[in-house]
Amino acid sequence: MNHTLLAPAPASADEARAAKIDVRGLDFFYGASQALHAVDLAIPAGAVTAIIGPSGCGKSTLLRTLNRIYALYPEQRAQGSILIDGRDILAPGADLADLRRRVGMVFQKPTPFASSIRDNVGFALSHYERLPKAETADRIEDALRQAALWDEVKDKLGQSALALSGGQQQRLCIARTIAVRPEILLLDEPTSALDPIATARIEELIQELSDRFTIVIVTHNMQQAARVSHRTAFFHMGRLIEVDETARIFTNPRETRTQDYITGRYG
Amino acid sequence: MRWILFRRRLADIVALCFAGLATAFGLACLASILWTTISKGGAAIGPALFTEMTPPPGAEGGLANAFYGSAVMVLLALAIGTPIGLAAGVYLAEQGRHTRLAAAVRFVNDILLSAPSIVVGLFVYELVVRPSGHFSGFAGSLALAIILVPMVVRTSDEALRLVPDRMREAAFALGLPRWKVTARILMKAAMNGILTGVLLGLARIAGETAPLLFTALNNQFWSASLDRPLANVPVVIFQYAMSPYNQWHALAWAGALVLTAFVLALSLLVRLAARKGRHG
Repeated sequence: MNHTLLAPAPASADEARAAKIDVRGLDFFYGASQALHAVDLAIPAGAVTAIIGPSGCGKSTLLRTLNRIYALYPEQRAQGSILIDGRDILAPGADLADLRRRVGMVFQKPTPFASSIRDNVGFALSHYERLPKAETADRIEDALRQAALWDEVKDKLGQSALALSGGQQQRLCIARTIAVRPEILLLDEPTSALDPIATARIEELIQELSDRFTIVIVTHNMQQAARVSHRTAFFHMGRLIEVDETARIFTNPRETRTQDYITGRYG
Repeated sequence: MRWILFRRRLADIVALCFAGLATAFGLACLASILWTTISKGGAAIGPALFTEMTPPPGAEGGLANAFYGSAVMVLLALAIGTPIGLAAGVYLAEQGRHTRLAAAVRFVNDILLSAPSIVVGLFVYELVVRPSGHFSGFAGSLALAIILVPMVVRTSDEALRLVPDRMREAAFALGLPRWKVTARILMKAAMNGILTGVLLGLARIAGETAPLLFTALNNQFWSASLDRPLANVPVVIFQYAMSPYNQWHALAWAGALVLTAFVLALSLLVRLAARKGRHG
């Protein structure tokens, strides 16, 4: 009894859990300008971690390092290490296709491909798995159900995805991403282009998905972070200022900068 | 104050007049060309035009061999030029996007795009016609393909670069390999632009005369062989229009009318394709 008091107690149950993603000493550069400075952040498995902060604080940049999508642009580079299940994804020779299969990403604006609803969801799926037709159809249905879109599109799977509403397109993008069964979902301000009703749908969906996926969501909407996440990380000017349980960040932050931001003094 | 207002209004009226006159001038030219072509060429339009061969002076005939030759050469040029142009365009817009080589290729391509077509004709003459010792339909196709390639490169490059980066990122974020992202997602999104480029290129090479003078030349008789001189509409028009014979004049006008109608139809098709693309 005594020694448990002496040992520093874990701040929360989440922290005690093994980190799914472990970011260590991460610096990020857009050409010569540095966007992230020595970021250390552990992201637990099976929970929603929100990343908040004012515009330009590096929150989207951090997300874009986690699946290395930044590597499409030769002038962008990351230094440090990011361990996912103990393997460094920034190490030379890391398999980007495999990484991106395991780490799915949904973007700020819906990005449906110029094809049918069915093909949007089935395209990446059929690239990874050679399945019989019926099973592919099941997997597509399953992904659309998980994304809470099935009932709205089940009668028009052959129609162009471009004809869907913005909120539906975003859920289609989520379905497309989870169809290949990733372990981690990165959501980059997924509701910023949507109306309040569509936003509520997506937030509900994030809650439902959080027991199956490790979710990292970037948002500029603090209420959203408070509603959907278990843990929140606050970034400012490319540095991680503080990370803790969401309830704690929003009620009793340690840092004054966090306090100032969440009370709306800047941002 | 009133003076300034008056001056502004005056300048406005003068500018409007000039703009209106310029428009009227352009439209009048176009209308006159169309009207002349229709009124002079319309008379010779008939079944014989498409079934009979180009006649000797003083005889009746049609342009069947010329239509056939043009169709074959243009299609072959399309078959050679489109894949090459498309591949180069894809390289410029995707693989080579951030490289110096792509910038250099783009620059050279723009020069090629504005190269006089007769130079291309001479180039193929030296390359194919002289070594082989005779004019041929194949040489004609090659010349037309060389004219087509830079157009397809330019339009496919531009159409692909118009595809927003977030579409590219979304596709790569699924872990798909580059070729699959390009071939199945980006090219599909850019299909309308690419198609428009190919159709416009087709319209352009269908009317080219200069490069064919040095390559396919012409053929008075029916010949389906690509290894022989091949009749074609532009060169027939050129020869017949320069001749002193009335029948030949009429046939030249008829050929011009068919060619114009073909190009017009293609332009309309391009419009239609573009409109359909916008409505997704």
